[in-house]
Amino acid sequence: MSEDITEQKFSDSYDTVVIGAGNGGLAAAANLAKNGVKVLLVEQHNLPGGFATSFVRGRFEFETSLHQLDSYGQEPKGGIRRMFEDKFNIDAEFISIPEAYRLIIDDPEEKLDVTVPFGIDNFINTIEKVAPGSKDGLEKFFKIAEEIKGAFGYFAKSQGKPDQGVLIKDFTNFLKTAAYSVDEVEDALNIPEKARLILNAYWAYMGVPTSRLNFSIFALLMLSYMSNGGYIPKKRSHEFTTALDVKIREFGGKIQYNTRVEKIIVEGSKVVGIETSNGDKIKTNHIISNASPTLVYNKLIYPKSEVPEIAYKEVNARVHGLTAFVVYLGLDVSKEELGLNEYSYFLLDSKSTEEIYESWSKLQAPGVQATVCLNHADPDCSPPGTCILFITTLFRPEVWENVKPEEYFEVKNKIAEDLIISCEKSLGINIREHIEEIEVATPQTFARYTKTYNGVIYGYEPESWDSITTRFMNMADEKHIKGLEFAGGFGRRVHGYSSSLDSGYTAAQFTLSELFKKGEMK
Amino acid sequence: MSKEDNERFIITVKSTNKDLLAFTKLVSNRKKRFEQASSDPIKSDPINDLAQKLHPDQQNLVISEIKEETKSTKTFKLVPDSDSTTKSLAYFRAGQYLSLKVNVNGVIITRPYSISSSPKDALNGFYDITIKKAEDGFLTEYVWDNWKVGTKIIGSEPSGNFFYDNLRDLKSVVGIGGGSGITPFRSIAKQIAEGKLDINLTVIYGCSEEDDIIFYEELKELEKQYPDKIKLVIVLSCEKITLEGCEQGFITADIIKKYADINNSSFFICGPQIMYNFVDKEIEQLSLSRKRIRKEVYGEVKDISNFPDFPKDMVGKTFKIKVGIGNLLKEIPAVSTETVTVAMERAKLAPPSSCRSGECGICRALLVSGNVYISPINDGRRAADKKFNFFYPCSSYPITDLEIIVPRSI
Repeated sequence: MSEDITEQKFSDSYDTVVIGAGNGGLAAAANLAKNGVKVLLVEQHNLPGGFATSFVRGRFEFETSLHQLDSYGQEPKGGIRRMFEDKFNIDAEFISIPEAYRLIIDDPEEKLDVTVPFGIDNFINTIEKVAPGSKDGLEKFFKIAEEIKGAFGYFAKSQGKPDQGVLIKDFTNFLKTAAYSVDEVEDALNIPEKARLILNAYWAYMGVPTSRLNFSIFALLMLSYMSNGGYIPKKRSHEFTTALDVKIREFGGKIQYNTRVEKIIVEGSKVVGIETSNGDKIKTNHIISNASPTLVYNKLIYPKSEVPEIAYKEVNARVHGLTAFVVYLGLDVSKEELGLNEYSYFLLDSKSTEEIYESWSKLQAPGVQATVCLNHADPDCSPPGTCILFITTLFRPEVWENVKPEEYFEVKNKIAEDLIISCEKSLGINIREHIEEIEVATPQTFARYTKTYNGVIYGYEPESWDSITTRFMNMADEKHIKGLEFAGGFGRRVHGYSSSLDSGYTAAQFTLSELFKKGEMK
Repeated sequence: MSKEDNERFIITVKSTNKDLLAFTKLVSNRKKRFEQASSDPIKSDPINDLAQKLHPDQQNLVISEIKEETKSTKTFKLVPDSDSTTKSLAYFRAGQYLSLKVNVNGVIITRPYSISSSPKDALNGFYDITIKKAEDGFLTEYVWDNWKVGTKIIGSEPSGNFFYDNLRDLKSVVGIGGGSGITPFRSIAKQIAEGKLDINLTVIYGCSEEDDIIFYEELKELEKQYPDKIKLVIVLSCEKITLEGCEQGFITADIIKKYADINNSSFFICGPQIMYNFVDKEIEQLSLSRKRIRKEVYGEVKDISNFPDFPKDMVGKTFKIKVGIGNLLKEIPAVSTETVTVAMERAKLAPPSSCRSGECGICRALLVSGNVYISPINDGRRAADKKFNFFYPCSSYPITDLEIIVPRSI
């Protein structure tokens, strides 16, 4: 090895090391750097963002994963907008999405084709038209959602020590629904079946059938989307993740790409440092990990004797969420010529969320796709006379376990083809003749670029016992290594862009209070 | 607001007692689940294993055979280096390249080379890389003098987007190749012959002399065996031609029309820069839609100063680049007509790079201050990278002193 390469290694110490520059890691590093912490952000890939990035093929730049960012409303400002604009002042332009989604269900027992707007009242009225008699239940749904939101605000204010009396009095509806699934609460609200099909369309973003999906997290998600609307960055997710990178440096933080953490060194249940694939040996007492607990406990902590038995148990008890499959299409036809008038499409061949979930367990085109026409929100996202369409579906990772490298390209193109055919059929459009660029991302693609365990893009499945409420309430008991915080989709806020960003920001707050408490920072 | 609206709605899911009890049990249920779970560490990660097989960080290779193809071309057969962790070779899509990392007298450089063997050959444990001498003096001089059976070479994962895709391309494929640009088409032809790629391939192959034709016998043999699937057309630019059935001159629109079904084919073009300069204009005359033309990237631009908008007064000038790479901050010299990547390689900084054509993005770096000239034909940057001054050193040329931050090689 040449001398110069040896000289490139790091051997100094940092107040905090952030592992992974995904949404969670970026928000954490930005918050720490802004507060004067000497922070090093290390990322194994050569780009920021994790799943939140973009890539170029020919004359197209594709969004990798974001469909619509919630919590970015203008009036009042959503939480993520406050973070980006007021706290970090990052230079990224966002545009709003015209309507929430068009839902097409092609089930033998139920045919449905409805386009719903953002705005709680508009949303409810649209559903009421399609499914009369649903208004009362839907209004109650959103009232409960407001109360859940209030409860989490109160949790934060009371620093995890809420007064039981206040909870029972002011947040009764939160308490009474926190342990239940979406189906259980919607049954109690007497929302008609047809209305529920429309109301629950975003369930796929959570990746758990409504019979198991925790109500609190789903209600929060719906409230955020319907009250804030949906947003996308003008220059794909790479714009805001790069803007965060630039800010972190401006705040005095350091970022190292192409640097894979191989060991988190722990001594006496305390973080003392990290070692990387590039031979860096860095001292630190604080780590915020955007890598999941699954990876940290099973792979990174060194020596292994420092991993408590309960940490393995926690990881094993939880259900790892889904991985994704995306077909990115650069078409040589405009969206108008193609006949597309919406941004987001949920296309389902079954009304049962359990049946759909089941279809993610087979190596074939699943029964659902969420398809986005980027040009409908951002006409300039591709050259005139072209448009960008991307088709997303999900899989249980196990399905892809036995695919051999020599079968891989054929398998992925077959599934992609079936998804394209089903999209063409549902929307009555011709895609195939217009494909100028195509890229197909599979679970292994997501693993390849982010090294996430088994290619999982969603964190742990948010059933009621492992949803946002229990993750917060049991927070203190689940902290096993001093100085180690988690951020990202496997974190307390459950997965999703805004949750991951938020979890990173919050993790940094915890680290900051530790640093100040110990007098390491003034 | 009516009186009813003012009354607070309180939900009852099962019964008030059951609902509240369910809440109070949430945490204990969670703890119970944890206690009952297995404490075995997770040791397998099959999806990452598949990703590593398809896209290894690097492949440690060794030359097992060298074949002289023409007076100036050699094929190097590369197999896994048994002293390394590389036990098998990554599968690929016919048409892709490997970026080889070579230590030339202490200077570590990379060069992309199309794999000329078939994907099936990779499963059987080898890649063929076919190199023409003097196309890139710096490396090929070294290769001709030093590469022997047993020489160890580091290769990248198979890379690039120059391959047939059944969802995008037409079943009839016209491959237009010049010089060593025949190599990806040999891989594609072999895959057709192996019955693993169901397309019809017409290769129109331009060379200067008969002696320069690479894989002539082999491709002719494939054509004979698969007359419905594979066709080879040789176009020679020299005066004297003894081979039968060749076209004389360059690959013109007329020649393409003569051999190809223009309206029902996808066109794949691979060759040296000089060939693109000519063929691009000929292809233009065919009025094909963009989706039917795919071009392989061709590495660093030769003679960047010939581009009309290259600042001519900068030719021959040397600048200073302050490079931050890992923990090292170093000032290095750089010539305006050489890429920033070359300058860093010369300074022995071993920066990351792969395609050297501004496409793959592996060399992505931050331009803190100064200006670079970016090759207009090799600018595959993301929009936000342009906005925030991230750039690809492999296709950028210094035209002032620079300050840059570069990631280390993985």
